[in-house]
Amino acid sequence: MRRWVRVIVVLAGLGVLAIAVLHFGILERSVVAEELDAPLSSEALGKLAARGRYLVVAADCYACHTYKDGPPWAGGLPMETPFGTIYATNITPDPEHGIGKWTRRDFHRAMRDGIAPGNRHLYPAMPYASYRDLAADDVDAMYAYLLTREPVTRPNVSNDVHFPNNIRALVGAWNIVALRDPEQPDATKSQAWNRGRYLTNALGHCGECHTPRNFMMAMQRDQYLQGGIIEGVEAPDITRDSLAMVGFEPEGLARFMRLGLSPVGSMTGPMFEVVHFSTQYLEDADLTAMATYLLGDPPPAVKPIVPAVVSAKISESGQHTYFALCAGCHGIEGQGVPHVSVPMRTNSSLRIPSSHGFLTSVLHGIAQQEFPGLERMQAMPGFAAHLNDQEIADLATWARAIWGGQGGEVTAAEVAQLRRSR
Amino acid sequence: MSIATRALSLTVNGKAVGPLQVPETTMMIDFLHEYLNLTGSRMGCGIGVCHACTVILDHPDGRSEEWRTCITGAHFFAGKSVRTIEGHAQRNERGEVVKLTPVQQAFIENFAFQCGYCTPGFVTGTTVLLEELKREPVARADLERVIHSALDRHICRCTGYVRYYEAVRNVVLATPGLVKD
Repeated sequence: MRRWVRVIVVLAGLGVLAIAVLHFGILERSVVAEELDAPLSSEALGKLAARGRYLVVAADCYACHTYKDGPPWAGGLPMETPFGTIYATNITPDPEHGIGKWTRRDFHRAMRDGIAPGNRHLYPAMPYASYRDLAADDVDAMYAYLLTREPVTRPNVSNDVHFPNNIRALVGAWNIVALRDPEQPDATKSQAWNRGRYLTNALGHCGECHTPRNFMMAMQRDQYLQGGIIEGVEAPDITRDSLAMVGFEPEGLARFMRLGLSPVGSMTGPMFEVVHFSTQYLEDADLTAMATYLLGDPPPAVKPIVPAVVSAKISESGQHTYFALCAGCHGIEGQGVPHVSVPMRTNSSLRIPSSHGFLTSVLHGIAQQEFPGLERMQAMPGFAAHLNDQEIADLATWARAIWGGQGGEVTAAEVAQLRRSR
Repeated sequence: MSIATRALSLTVNGKAVGPLQVPETTMMIDFLHEYLNLTGSRMGCGIGVCHACTVILDHPDGRSEEWRTCITGAHFFAGKSVRTIEGHAQRNERGEVVKLTPVQQAFIENFAFQCGYCTPGFVTGTTVLLEELKREPVARADLERVIHSALDRHICRCTGYVRYYEAVRNVVLATPGLVKD
């Protein structure tokens, strides 16, 4: 009996020790250099703020750190994760609820190591796994800019994360496994490619959504940018071959990020917000650099779409539904209506292996959106109540075959699953 | 070049129509105008925004629903039952209107429309709203909000909506059983 007590006491002690080790981040490797302990003078901060503004836009901090219609930068956006709901925090210079008391080093640690003052481990919903690659002087500039914002006395909302993931120290273990050393410039590639990689991977943190996650919700580095599902929305594969298959050349891809509209369709859902808050404001050279990185240097040639074979039965059913409910806006030949609705015959959602995005749009519709440059697209109604699973499956199979060149049948079961997911 | 056609049968204003050979790509509003001479549903924007073109789709379970005919293919309505603006008022055997519906009457009494282009859509939308309220009455306090959300999508460029709005509220309140307290 006494032996068992001793074993339990020893195990409990080890547990406490492990939590303490994780809490203090003893095994985590910081990428924040010691010289960043030195505070920045107010003059230096003043000089950095303007550049910081651009970087903060490129990093799209606003999208999460501002609740819809709430005070700017004061936090609040809820993020649904498999572990519970996480709320973005107040990053105004408010001394109590925001970052007003944070030192330069505190800010660097939070951004790149994921550890806030008091060894508070941030949840990786904050994309520090991507921001880890940020250059120190860029982080300085972002810090300087955020300190110029209006302080807002708005308390942070407690996260609704369930046990055991509500033990923040455990994120330390995640950090030990999931974080890697920052990317170094690739001397074999052009300057534009390297700049584009930095904008895409570090600042834009595109990989956070566009990369599949493993069982512990870490980005699967070996499948980086190959597409992921986040909050029920598919972030498509944006690697070179997939983008080329969709029909992108660098100029068109850069324009898509600026305008949110292109012959391949319109940015929808979370990606619409990325354009709205971030990419529309990027300099042309930076958007071109991102396209250079994503499509490669030199980019692949765009291949014409070769329609796939589709059975007469599915063709009949799919085309019938298209003429009945889609052609009124998207055109009898899929040509779309300028300023009203996107063309289907060049639509990216039909040109990729996954039918997830297309089916979701057909089932649940797309909200009306305003795009940069006074462009707007009217709402697309969802047809979940008007079409059965087989009708939607046939529509998808037919449209993917004739316009997307994608063979293979979309099944009613796939539609049923996505129908249930909302 | 020949245009592919397909036989279309449906019920319009309670009467069986067809089978008629209709091009596969014909929109419902063109079918109503060109094949049935029912020209009351208005072609407005042609992109599904203004709702001047709507008709009532009657479901077998008794629910009624508003549909935009400018962006919906005629063949979508195959085998279905629709009510167009011509089917609302009572008519005598010569086809002459003898009695308006309470909705139509309320619009006239409230001077709800001026040019009248949007009116068929407003009559359609309001009729569907009334039928909905008959099945599921709303609390008096919610009525204004319900009217707003039911008819908000209808665009009128003459009278500024206020008179339509008042007419709809009047007719809802004057019809027994639509509002509960």
